[in-house]
Amino acid sequence: MRKTAIMFALLLGAGTAQAQLPGLRKRGPAQPTQPVLQGIDAQRADFAAQAGGTTVYYGAESVILGAPAKAALGLQAAWLRRHPDVVVRIEGYGDSLDTRDHALAAGAARAEEARNYLILLGVPSAQVSTTSWGKERSGLGRAVTVLVR
Amino acid sequence: MKRLPLPVLLLGLAGAAHAQQPAATVIAVPPLTSPDSGTKGNQMLAVGWDVTQAIEADLRQTTEVMPLKPNRDDYYSYPEVTAPSFSKWRSAGAKALVSGFVQGRADGRLTVGCYVYDIDKGRELARKGFIIGANDWRRAAHKCSGLAYTAITGAPGMFDTRIAYVAESGVGEARMRRIAVMDSDGYNHRYLIAGDAMVLTPRLAPKGSQLAYVSFAGGRPSVRVVDLGSGQERPLLSVDAISFAPRYSPDGGKIAYSMMLGANSDIYVAAAGGGAPQRLTTSPAIDTDPSFSPDGSKIVFESDRGGTQQLYVMNADGSGQRRISFGGSWYAAPGWSPDGQWIAFTRRGQDGRRIGLMKVDGTGEKLLTGGPGDEGPSWTASSREILFQRTGPDGRTGLFRVGLDGGEPRPLTTPQDGSDPDSSGVMD
Repeated sequence: MRKTAIMFALLLGAGTAQAQLPGLRKRGPAQPTQPVLQGIDAQRADFAAQAGGTTVYYGAESVILGAPAKAALGLQAAWLRRHPDVVVRIEGYGDSLDTRDHALAAGAARAEEARNYLILLGVPSAQVSTTSWGKERSGLGRAVTVLVR
Repeated sequence: MKRLPLPVLLLGLAGAAHAQQPAATVIAVPPLTSPDSGTKGNQMLAVGWDVTQAIEADLRQTTEVMPLKPNRDDYYSYPEVTAPSFSKWRSAGAKALVSGFVQGRADGRLTVGCYVYDIDKGRELARKGFIIGANDWRRAAHKCSGLAYTAITGAPGMFDTRIAYVAESGVGEARMRRIAVMDSDGYNHRYLIAGDAMVLTPRLAPKGSQLAYVSFAGGRPSVRVVDLGSGQERPLLSVDAISFAPRYSPDGGKIAYSMMLGANSDIYVAAAGGGAPQRLTTSPAIDTDPSFSPDGSKIVFESDRGGTQQLYVMNADGSGQRRISFGGSWYAAPGWSPDGQWIAFTRRGQDGRRIGLMKVDGTGEKLLTGGPGDEGPSWTASSREILFQRTGPDGRTGLFRVGLDGGEPRPLTTPQDGSDPDSSGVMD
């Protein structure tokens, strides 16, 4: 995941050598011009790296958070508590075999379950909003945490 | 209104459908005539021939009525319109006759008269006159077709109705979706909502004058309403909540829809013109896809409150909720037929998603399509046909129509991939 963040940084590279990413620091002065992310992009990369990803998955037809999802949300919550100025939106996805409107509701319910768990772990409710993509974008049933600002 | 004539829909497949339908009533469609003479008379006869061909095309789409091919050279005199020679049509094999005339008016508009006869009994079944703009002859044809279809079958025709759907183009995340509206025969096709936001589930008001849909503009799905005449659009609700699955009441005055409150989706109803929503369901499960009975007194909807998606009926005020689907599968997206007799649905099972119908008490379940990627049934005005969306193995979507007696679904041709079809009632 850390490697992914670095590649992301290379792709988007901008600005000067204010390397904040833990993965970059170890590279030392041999690469002084390593491009880095700034602002929300840097925070997104840091969030993904520290929380081990931005996505939690659900079983088919389920809106219940499993143990791996709760562990992932625990890492997300820890990061969000350290960054109270950051606002996130959780985007829920339904199952591709579902019907359109039920999938929309299921995606919204999944996002809301993830949000409720973050709030349970101490993240202020105003820091987290939700939306749903239903089955309109492909992939497994999931909830993705997106840093808005 | 901008006219974008598409190739007339669905031709070629009707013949096969008729072969399975020996009971189809053969109807003669002689060229519409005119009482006018001279140059004007020739102009009116030209318009009349356009109307005649459109009537034939309309009726050919049905499984119940089979038009004889009209012959332009077979001049039909004005007196014949009200005094047809029944023996001639009888020997041609026709059981019914639709004839008429086009007359120019001083104000530049046209009078179109339509007459429908029972040839065996030698008597008139129906007649109607329309005054239309000179460029509106296609609507007059749809009205004539409807008059003939109703006289023969007893059901309203879907000829003078609109179809709304979501036009899809592009691939992956860049796939663009736009709300499109067209006449039932594919003419007057136009795109309604500009912009990059994803859109879903257009639902026409019963007379086809308004449309409710779901927009992702602003990041969250919510119901919006657009007036098809003015193009004005606005959110249905003033609250910032996820709302979806809109459906008009039969009088067009209200919209039932789903709204999220936390992780809970319930069914609400609000005035179509705006106003405070009234909550109809309170179960902690997903309640969605409401559809009114034609008298407006009841609503069929989908709920997974029992563990799986099933169909329920309640009174329009939310009271008396009871399950009606007990077929052992999952049932979703119900639609109440305009004649009040049937509930169409999407069935989810091991064999994928298929379109079916059951009586309003839940009995008589019958599957109409083979799936596996079918969903989103929408009744046509006649209650004899259902539009739906089929997703192919390549993920592309298309619109189809299927009759209640089964038979192969027939495609509705659209300029791009289409999803979420919706058919209006007969327009005023």
